[in-house]
Amino acid sequence: MARASGYLKTGYGQQLVLVETRMQWMLLALLAAALLALPLFASFFLLDLAGQIFLAVIGAVALMLLTGIAGQVSLGHAGLLAAGALVTGILTQEAGAPFWITLPAATIAGALLGLLFGLPSLRLKGLYLGISTLALHFIVVFLGQEYETIRGFSTGISVHPPRIFGWELYDPAAWYYVLLAFDVVVVLFALNLLRSRTGRAWRAVHERDVVAEALGVSVFRAKLSAFVISSALTALAGAVFSYYRGFVSVEAFSLFVTIQYVAMVIIGGLGSILGAILGAIFVTMFPYAIEAALETTGLAAALAGYVFAINYALFGLVMLAFLLFEPDGLAGIWRRLRDYFFLWPFRKTPLAGGE
Amino acid sequence: MQLLANYLTLAALYALIACGYVLVYRVSRVLTLAHGEVMMVGAYLLLTMGTLFHLPPLPAFIAALLMSLVVGLAIYWMVMRRMAGETVFAAVLVTIALGILLRGAMALVWTPRLQYPAEAIAMENPSVALGGSVAVSQASLLIIASAVLVYGGLFLFFRHTTWGVRMRAVGENPRLAAQRGIAPHGPLALAWGIAALTGGLAGMLLSIDTGIDEAMAIIGLKTFPVVLVGGLDSLSGAIIGALVVAGAEILAIYYVDPLVADVAPFLVLLAILMVRPWGLFGTREELDRV
Amino acid sequence: MSDLLLSVEQVEVVYHDVVTAVQGVNLTARAGQIVCLLGSNGAGKTTTLRAISGFIGLDHARVTGGRIVFAGEDIANAAPHICARAGIALVAERDKVFEQLSVRENLEIGMVAGKTGSQAAGGDRLDLKGIYRFFPELERLTGRQAGFLSGGERQMLAIGSALLTSPRLLLIDELSLGLAPVVVERLAAALTDIRDALGITILLVEQNANIALSIADYGFVMENGRIVLDGDAGRLLAHGDIQEFYLGQGAAAGERRSYRAVKQYARKRRWYG
Repeated sequence: MARASGYLKTGYGQQLVLVETRMQWMLLALLAAALLALPLFASFFLLDLAGQIFLAVIGAVALMLLTGIAGQVSLGHAGLLAAGALVTGILTQEAGAPFWITLPAATIAGALLGLLFGLPSLRLKGLYLGISTLALHFIVVFLGQEYETIRGFSTGISVHPPRIFGWELYDPAAWYYVLLAFDVVVVLFALNLLRSRTGRAWRAVHERDVVAEALGVSVFRAKLSAFVISSALTALAGAVFSYYRGFVSVEAFSLFVTIQYVAMVIIGGLGSILGAILGAIFVTMFPYAIEAALETTGLAAALAGYVFAINYALFGLVMLAFLLFEPDGLAGIWRRLRDYFFLWPFRKTPLAGGE
Repeated sequence: MQLLANYLTLAALYALIACGYVLVYRVSRVLTLAHGEVMMVGAYLLLTMGTLFHLPPLPAFIAALLMSLVVGLAIYWMVMRRMAGETVFAAVLVTIALGILLRGAMALVWTPRLQYPAEAIAMENPSVALGGSVAVSQASLLIIASAVLVYGGLFLFFRHTTWGVRMRAVGENPRLAAQRGIAPHGPLALAWGIAALTGGLAGMLLSIDTGIDEAMAIIGLKTFPVVLVGGLDSLSGAIIGALVVAGAEILAIYYVDPLVADVAPFLVLLAILMVRPWGLFGTREELDRV
Repeated sequence: MSDLLLSVEQVEVVYHDVVTAVQGVNLTARAGQIVCLLGSNGAGKTTTLRAISGFIGLDHARVTGGRIVFAGEDIANAAPHICARAGIALVAERDKVFEQLSVRENLEIGMVAGKTGSQAAGGDRLDLKGIYRFFPELERLTGRQAGFLSGGERQMLAIGSALLTSPRLLLIDELSLGLAPVVVERLAAALTDIRDALGITILLVEQNANIALSIADYGFVMENGRIVLDGDAGRLLAHGDIQEFYLGQGAAAGERRSYRAVKQYARKRRWYG
């Protein structure tokens, strides 16, 4: 993809640096200040929206690692989220376990599921893998339903808010900061992973696995590690989600959730962590934006029964539009804008013969 | 005996749905994730033939089938054609988006509530006694009959007709096919068209029995294991896959728990993937391409 | 010049809008001629061939300058199947036969494709029998799945299948690649027969200059994306540079050098020697 070339790097150290320029430091500082200050002004609704976005970011980054970086399709994302939430719910209900047990437990459960369903898929490529993860979804949801019916939690398993030294995490603003911290850790983890040997191996496998193998990358280990790490992160997201909502119900993890996450990585732009974040923001806000648009145009009353359907159809349309016309997603648009300002007043033009 | 009758019906239904996946995959190497929605389109079209035009059953079916064919061709022409030259991965994602779009559009046009096309086209669906205490619905018999017809037709089509040989050629090597003067769009569009036709037919017949709402798309997804068990590129594999998966599902319903039915196909799939990842009848090198 | 079938005029091909593969290529072929295009790896032979057959479009490349005139029409940047229907058949280096189809079906694919060159021009349509006359081996193998054929049989099948599209121009990329010398001789003889019997023009891309020049009427030599030498096959065969570089005779024997290097060496020898 054509883009401005950036800065001349004179050593491997510079290649590895996350923040390259003073300008970027300043922008990051501004962003951090804005994020930290937000709860001081925001309404309850906005805080909840931010919380949803933060939760979505964890799942989207996890899926981006697997799909966008390592190039493995997964249709079991909702199943993995459900698995994390269920582990949390069951452990709280049956053993009264606190969060510092349930969160690691959910993460480990996710990793194990990733291992279990990743293993048969290792001999397979892309599509087969996706379908076997679809199997994961159905099996997890089935087991969850069984548990709920047998124990009589047909409306959902309630989860107590986490307690730290007798203090309950309940206040929306407190949740906001906790989730923000979670996101920062997850994003830094993902970025670091990409700079490491593992991340480069994933990209190589994505590009062409036979060549990667010839270059000494263990395709087996790369695929499995991508699967396990992504699954563990996703299950963790599910566990945090169950605490945030206060209860767990398998109903909440339909296939549509999987599709939403797939949409996040597509709309955000495959292959970029920034894309995962942008995609999560876009997809989470999408239904609210539609609702607001209907309100302001005064069509809300007339179309009351159809809001869900409109949402669905427009959502598909947007996904399609991005896939067909902007395959690099929001991250690609961002990069183009940045290059434009970076190069201004010069313009990038293709070489002779280009359009 | 009743078990056997139910088994055959389910197997035929799966086979009828599965051939759409196989067709599209074989010609374009794309695994479509919108097939469940395409089935729903067929069923809704049948409904509309009844509610809007008051057609009797046979003309309603024929009209809805033709329109399904057109829908399939349109999907190719408007969406999938643009994915030529893109990766298979991107094309699969496009089918996911297409499925969502179709589902939303259908809910807008036909509302999401459960509806019964059988009433709309005034088609009776009597129980047919097959001797003894065995009885199946007329729609079930139609499903079995159409599965046999569709598969027979497809086998002859691929073996002996010009277009069939062209489709196989494009499926195997589109570049070489172009060298021999075959424009790729014709066979690809036809594959999507036939897939929509057979999928739509399955959707219509199923909706006669059970009515139509969003749940039908799930049946489309449950057919994945059938296709993968048989091997993605093999029509005869799809039949075997349908027989195996339907058998597992029926046995699970009768001997274990009806709730297991939704999971049974996927358990079979996992078992098969452990042993023969390329499916029972698929070609082995096929795996390298996906 | 009324019998001029193909004329490539000042053609330039650019990959990905960035990389120029060939530049200012001029090449002509008259009806009924066998023309060969020689050059080492990366010289631009295959790119030229793919430009003529319309295949560069599939590899993110475009003809950005010049014209490719076939039978009076400019076909630069046309889609491959359009070129095929206009009467240009390609036997490519890799994609030769449909491996899952039988030999017979492979041949029939050509006929399936319908309305092409010489038929459109009112010529007689070739049928399976006609192909079996050139390649009797294929008749024995008619029901065999093409994936199980040997390299030589594949090449025959590919040529046969291409001929059944009734082309006026047959493009062959690397006829001799990976084949035993005796098979190559057999194929070369068959090409001459085909030209004599059907009056088809053949453009042969080859690394094996000896074989190519022995059956060709006219030859072009490419180097670094340009035509550097052309002439009647007999004269090329006798040309000193060709002998030095391609046939491994004379001074540079044993060591492969580019044509340009050989020329420079010759010039130096003239000046300082």
